[in-house]
Amino acid sequence: MCGLSVAFAFLLGLLPVWVLVCVQVCVIDVSSAWGQYEVEEESPVWVRGLLDVRIARGGRSSSWTSRGPGKTRYGGRETKRATRLTVSQLALELGAALPWDVVARAQLNWDPDGYNDDRPLLIEAHLRKEWGAWEQGWGLQTGVMNLPFSLEHTGPAWTPQYTLTPSALNSWLWEEGHLVGIEGEWWRVIQSRLRLGLLVGSGFGQDQAGHLLAVRGWVLSDALHGVNSDLPLPVRGEHVPAFDEQDHRPSVYAWFTIRDLRRQAELGIGYFDNLADQDEREVWGTRFGTLGVILHPLAQVDFVSQYLIGKARHRPCRCGVSFHAFYALLSWHHRSHRISARYDVFQTNNQDGPPNYRDRGDAVTLAYLFEFGLQHRVGFEYIFVQSRHAQPFRSSPSDDGWQLSYRFRY
Amino acid sequence: MRALLQASTFIVALSLGSWLALAECSFALAGEINGRVIGPDGKGIAQAVVFVQTLPDGVSPLTPLAAAHMDQVNEQFAPTLLPIPVGTEVSFPNQDQIHHHVYSFSRTKRFEIPLYRGEEVPPIVFDKVGVVKVGCNIHDWMAGIILVVPTPFYAVTADDGSFTLRDLPVATYPLVSWHERSQTTVEETLQQVSVDEKVPNVTFSLTLKSDRSRLPIRGSRGYR
Repeated sequence: MCGLSVAFAFLLGLLPVWVLVCVQVCVIDVSSAWGQYEVEEESPVWVRGLLDVRIARGGRSSSWTSRGPGKTRYGGRETKRATRLTVSQLALELGAALPWDVVARAQLNWDPDGYNDDRPLLIEAHLRKEWGAWEQGWGLQTGVMNLPFSLEHTGPAWTPQYTLTPSALNSWLWEEGHLVGIEGEWWRVIQSRLRLGLLVGSGFGQDQAGHLLAVRGWVLSDALHGVNSDLPLPVRGEHVPAFDEQDHRPSVYAWFTIRDLRRQAELGIGYFDNLADQDEREVWGTRFGTLGVILHPLAQVDFVSQYLIGKARHRPCRCGVSFHAFYALLSWHHRSHRISARYDVFQTNNQDGPPNYRDRGDAVTLAYLFEFGLQHRVGFEYIFVQSRHAQPFRSSPSDDGWQLSYRFRY
Repeated sequence: MRALLQASTFIVALSLGSWLALAECSFALAGEINGRVIGPDGKGIAQAVVFVQTLPDGVSPLTPLAAAHMDQVNEQFAPTLLPIPVGTEVSFPNQDQIHHHVYSFSRTKRFEIPLYRGEEVPPIVFDKVGVVKVGCNIHDWMAGIILVVPTPFYAVTADDGSFTLRDLPVATYPLVSWHERSQTTVEETLQQVSVDEKVPNVTFSLTLKSDRSRLPIRGSRGYR
């Protein structure tokens, strides 16, 4: 454990903090001498990590990570890096049970895509307190958070659960969906059959929401971005900060869910509006709604589908777009095996212009995942993408790529 | 005719004698121990386990071991505390629609089972006495305890700390008490209790540590 901890610390530049945590955990381990009826003491601080290594072969076009027109994270078959061995994700999760039943959680990620200058990315850092029980209760959460709408990012360290790469819809939600704020959540079981949940939140830092989508278009990416990420635009040298606050107006969002107690069907409806002050020169005004459903028609079958529609406007550049995306995913699992197939369709349409930022395309993703032991998973994924972007690429990249993944979770 | 009458009388007398002997025997098996587990303030402690540490000479288990279950319901183990006699088979059915990965690193028993709803896997045999902490590799807040006790005579305390041990043959028993957060060791709670025609009443006193377990996330912000 400590060896892995040190590797993380060097990578993240947090060695002093990490050593303290490691020493504390090790001391607790050593001091808890085992007796026959003695319960091993639960540490109030817990640490988890995730490392995902890939062999990836991307499409012909350069990836959006290199400011190219490619829709997948690993692109550029025309370059020498057609097939590459790379770290896809290195995540460090920290948690602590604080007094008054408050839970603190934080996650730091590092990925080698380059545009973040190899700095650690703060995925989340928040405090949460809940009152009540599973049947009825409410909670408050405050800090650095991501919008709660993704139905795919439900695996450890917010990784996609069914495939290696999430849909275009949820890729975008984890690119531009970061904020610093507060949210309240309420849940209740009614008539002993249905569980309702309502989450309402507000926060700052969303003044660039929609910018990336409007100018670059949709992509399929499993890279998790942090509140301190700078996301590359196709225009040379330009980037979009994931957190930007200029008009000092808070964004608002709501997420309503309803499901049966056996979780055979679940419906979620969400809405987001950054309530932008469009008189501020650099602020984008973006709002969208999303509707998602999870079905389990059979014990071993998952069906997940989600639709998102919205608008992003920016007065000075006249580059506003309307956008929508949809995916349907079918997944079969048995013991530690999971096979999934997903169809994606995505589009942005010009609302002003010129220039015309129209982007449209569809994708098919096939994935096989196999978990072994408590800590290991291997996976294979093939993605077919057909898309066309009018500006600035004027190209029709056809990105067929595959990935072989090994994931270790501590 | 007289011979037949004598034979009938003999059979009736024999039957009556056997019935009386069996009745006396079953009375001897009906012994109970009542009691409470309390804290230093005198309040009852729930979810404590009281059990017979060793079987007295001549006393043997009356019934074969029953299979036990620790379910996963609403992202929690149910029950969260499962006392079982050593040698019991425990199954872990997943009642949730989501994936659970049940495991234990405890020295008493190490195992791991990836589980989806509806999938049946062979039960785990707990063949050593002691404490087994059970967790889920996906949902960090899920925690359960299997207490493997050495004899089939045990009881879990109710909310008011009360307990009843039933079906004890007449004998003197070494009785101990355990709680997940007890600072008092099991050996320190040892009491010798005689079971006969009177129902003994026993009190155990435990000092508990404060609860520092990981807290569940019941809203939509947890992993699935």
